[in-house]
This record gives sequence, C-alpha cells and structure tokens, in this order.
Amino acid sequence: MIQSFKRLSKDKILYLMLMPAFVYFIVYHFWPMLGMTLAFQDYRVIGNNVWVGLKYFKILFGSPVFGNVLMNTVIISSMKLIFCFPVPIILALLVSEVRNSLFRKCVQSVIYLPHFLSWVVIAGIWINMLSPNGGIVNHIRNLFGLPSIDFMTSKQHIRWVLVFSEIWRSAGWDSIIYLAAIMRISFSLYEAAYIDGASKFQQMFYITLPELKSTIITVFILNLGYFMNAGFDQVYNFMNDSVISVIDILDTYVYRVGMVNVQYSYATAASFFKGIVGCVLIFITHILSKKLTGKGLW
Amino acid sequence: MNKDKLFHIVIYILLFLIAMTMIIPLLNIVALSLTKPEGALEFKGWEIIPKGFSLINYKVILSNVMVLKSIFNSLFITGMGTLINILMTTMAAYALTRPSLIGKRFFMTLLIIVMVFEPGLIPEYLVIKKIGLIDNYWSVILYKAVNVYYLIIIMRFFDEIPKSLIEAAEIDGAGHMRILFKVVLPVAKAAIATIGLFYAVYHWNEYFRASIYLNSQSKWPLQVVLRQFVVLDDTTSMIGVNNLLSYSDIARLNYKALQATTIIIAVIPILLLYPLILKYYTKGTLEGGVKD
Repeated sequence: MIQSFKRLSKDKILYLMLMPAFVYFIVYHFWPMLGMTLAFQDYRVIGNNVWVGLKYFKILFGSPVFGNVLMNTVIISSMKLIFCFPVPIILALLVSEVRNSLFRKCVQSVIYLPHFLSWVVIAGIWINMLSPNGGIVNHIRNLFGLPSIDFMTSKQHIRWVLVFSEIWRSAGWDSIIYLAAIMRISFSLYEAAYIDGASKFQQMFYITLPELKSTIITVFILNLGYFMNAGFDQVYNFMNDSVISVIDILDTYVYRVGMVNVQYSYATAASFFKGIVGCVLIFITHILSKKLTGKGLW
Repeated sequence: MNKDKLFHIVIYILLFLIAMTMIIPLLNIVALSLTKPEGALEFKGWEIIPKGFSLINYKVILSNVMVLKSIFNSLFITGMGTLINILMTTMAAYALTRPSLIGKRFFMTLLIIVMVFEPGLIPEYLVIKKIGLIDNYWSVILYKAVNVYYLIIIMRFFDEIPKSLIEAAEIDGAGHMRILFKVVLPVAKAAIATIGLFYAVYHWNEYFRASIYLNSQSKWPLQVVLRQFVVLDDTTSMIGVNNLLSYSDIARLNYKALQATTIIIAVIPILLLYPLILKYYTKGTLEGGVKD
C-alpha cells in the first residue's frame, strides 16, 4: 500500500517535470494554431469575431500582389535549391582531400563561422561588401573593366544576392553532414581503385560521389519540405523599397499586411495558406524519405 | 602521380580562396571599426589593416545609452533564456525517457504536431497580447523555450545512459529530481553543453520577435539596435547624448565606421564562444545529424 502510493507520488513528479514544456507548447504553439481560425473570421477589437467563411481567401487569391508574392517565394526557393544545394557537397569533397590537418582545421573554422552570425550582422557585412563606392565586389568588377552596380537596389541582381549570401552563410556548415558521410566510406574502396590506377579525381568521381548518394537524397528532400520558407530573416534584412516587388515572399508579406497594416484576418489567411502547402510538402517529404532512405522525419 | 599532385594543389588553392571570401569581409569590418575617423572615408572593402589606429568609434558606440542598455538586455535575455531552455528541455527529456511514464505516446504525438505545424505569426502575436506579455522581456525569453529537435536529441542521449546507474540511485531512495540533477545531468554534460550553445547562439542572434513584442526602446536587445543602425541606416541615433566628445569631434566621425563597430560588438560573444562552439556544436552536429 505504502509502496504503491510512493510510486504514484514519484511519477507525479515526472508529470510536474513535463509540465513547463507542456504549458509552453500549449501557449506558444497549440493556442496560436487554434487562432488560425481567424482566417475565416472578421477580427473585432471589441466583442466576438464574426465568421465570414472563405471571404479572406477569395480576396487573397484575387489579389495580384499575393500572386506576385507567391511567385517570388517559388522563384527564390527554387533558385536556392538549384544553386545553393550543390555547393556544400563540392566543399565537402574538397575539404576531405586535404591531408594537412592544420590547414584543414583553419579552413573548417573559417567556413563554419558565418553560420553563427545573425542575418542582421550578415546584411550589414554584405551591404558594405556590395556598396558601389568602396565595396569589394564592385572593386573586383572594376578591375576587370566592368562598371559598378548598386546590387542592393537592383531588381535584376537582388535575388542573386540572396542566393550568394545564403551560400556564404551556410555552405560551410552544411558541408559537415557530407564530410561525416565521406569519413564513413571504407578505405579499401580507394585502395582497390588506386591499384587499378585511378587518379585522385577519378576516385572522387567514381567512389566518393556515388557513396554520398543517399546522404544527398536525404538532404535534398529535407530541403524540399521547407520549400515555402524562402528565408524570412534574410529577405527581411535585404529588403528595401526599390527591390520589394521581386523579393517580397509569403512570410514578409504576412508580416507587412498583418503587423504593419494591422489586417489580422487577411494576413492570417495568407499564412494559413502557406501553412497548408508547407504541411503537405513536409508530409510528402516524410513519405519520400521513408521510401527512399528508410528514415522519416519523425 | 604528378597529376594527383596538381589535383591537390588546385584543391588547396580553391579552399584558400573560399576561406578568404569568408574571412576578408569580417576582417575588413574589424579594421574599419579600428580606423581613425580621418582614414575611414578612403577605407576600401578589401583592406584588412586599420588606417591609423583609434578606439574612438568604440568609445562613441559604447557611450550610447541605447547600445549599453541593449547589450545588457541581450545578455539578460540570452542568459535567462538559455537557462530556462536547458531546465525545461532536460526535465521534459528525463520524464519522457522514464519507462514508467504513462501517456508517452500522447506526448510524442504532441511533439510531432509542434514540429510539423507552424502557427502563424498573427495568431501568435494575438496570444502574446492576450496573456499580457507585450513589451515584457518574458515574451522573448520564452519564445522557443523548448525546441523539439533539441529535446529529441537529449532524449536520445538520456536513453543511452545505462539503466543500472538510475536504478542504483532509485534504490538509494533518490527522487526523480535528484536523479536528474545528480546522476543524469553530470553524465550527459557534453550533450547539455551542445544544446546549451545551440540555444544561446539562437537567443543572442534573435531580433525579430523582440522587434515585434518589445515596444519600448529601452527593452530592445542589441540585434534590434544593430538593425536600426546598420540595415535601416538610422545613423542619427548612433551618437549617444552623453558621450564625452566635443562638437568638432562628432563632426569628424564616420558613420560607416560606427556601423562597423556596432556589427563587431554584436559578433564578439559569438567569437568568444567560437572555440567551444567548434568543439561541442560541431561534434554534436556530426553525431546527431542535426541540420538547422
């Protein structure tokens, strides 16, 4: 009797230990999730909100700005997927060939660093780098006889600025996962290739790369799952009036319409739409990942 | 054989150039912040040695009340936030890895829902408003109080701790709290340090929630002030009211150099922690396969 009571009170403590995290999830996650119903209501400051059905979704899909924002999101995400994705793989291949451990350590410490800087800091550094007067990028252009470009206000270039700054920030850090995979490759494979007379480059191309296939697939489908997040922090900090029409993405749009223009219901409808598409993508990712690699997201 | 040597030389040169593209912009900002105001005007983006050494930019920025207060705010939010992160995450992870816990499946399903469904910005803002946390530090400190991915990593670590260790403590009459703090946490020190760093870096770099939840400027963390100064180019508020300079000194100041100085001040804690980050964070990422 005393024994079982003791056990119960002991387990009660377990629930108490879970409590803070549980309460946090309720307040910061589940309550706002219920709040997404605001997308189907008219927001009232005083009194209860009124249900209006799909009114805001109809406005949303009828709005040319929303169409543009959706396009920007898809374009920027696709550009990042195509151009940012291969860089960490190449970087890992390069780093894995370095035998001098001091050089290797130095390179790794340097290329991981940008990952730990906030987008505010990175935006500051990049605005300085891309400046038409004294910026390093335009200096290099001038050396080759090319005219200076004000990248930050150029509609043609700003998306490429997003792509390259993303590479600058995360390629090094993202290469870790591939490096780990390369280190797991059996040494005997290389030995056999060496005996067959394969050059270093051939070994990289015919052994390392194929061995990396499953890691590459995993990372790729993971990225696919977060396709709708085109990079809020980055875009928010690189945005200005001259380029807003080409880099305004769903998240920055929701922020502007909701927090700045205080159109709560309309903004919630936009993020509801984004949430639905995002969820579908994550579930597809999960299923794809389970099928192809045997490991899902959860 | 010669071909392989050439191949390696090409790789070394390539990596050297890549590393340079990452470190030169940073060194350039450091050098600019240390340059004398007179030299700052001709200071170019590829230079990494200060033109005439001077700490005046640091003096100006660090005598700005807004900056000083924001550094304190950032330290408070980061310290408090990380402490709460570690406590809440380890307690939850411990409870969820006890075999006797009833309802584990239920809690795990909740975690997956949190992982997959992202609540919108506006509903979240309205909840924070409803519970009265607008313009309160706690709205920012508690944002991301528990990260599900890190929670799962810690659970994996706790699962690997030998059962006999915990059973022995139980036989000695230790309660769950005691077991967690005296037995489990010391064993999982490296894992805790890893996620602690993850959380700390996150808090230090966070600016967006702070900028929407904290209305009074006196509560802003450093990153929000930095954004104001550098990204939004609001240079008028950079020079503090009670700094010790004469008007002619102020007139000489270079705003780009002041912006560079603010950037460096915001990066210093990361650089101080960097050796630890490389040691724990990188290892944790290699082993845990975490991507964030």
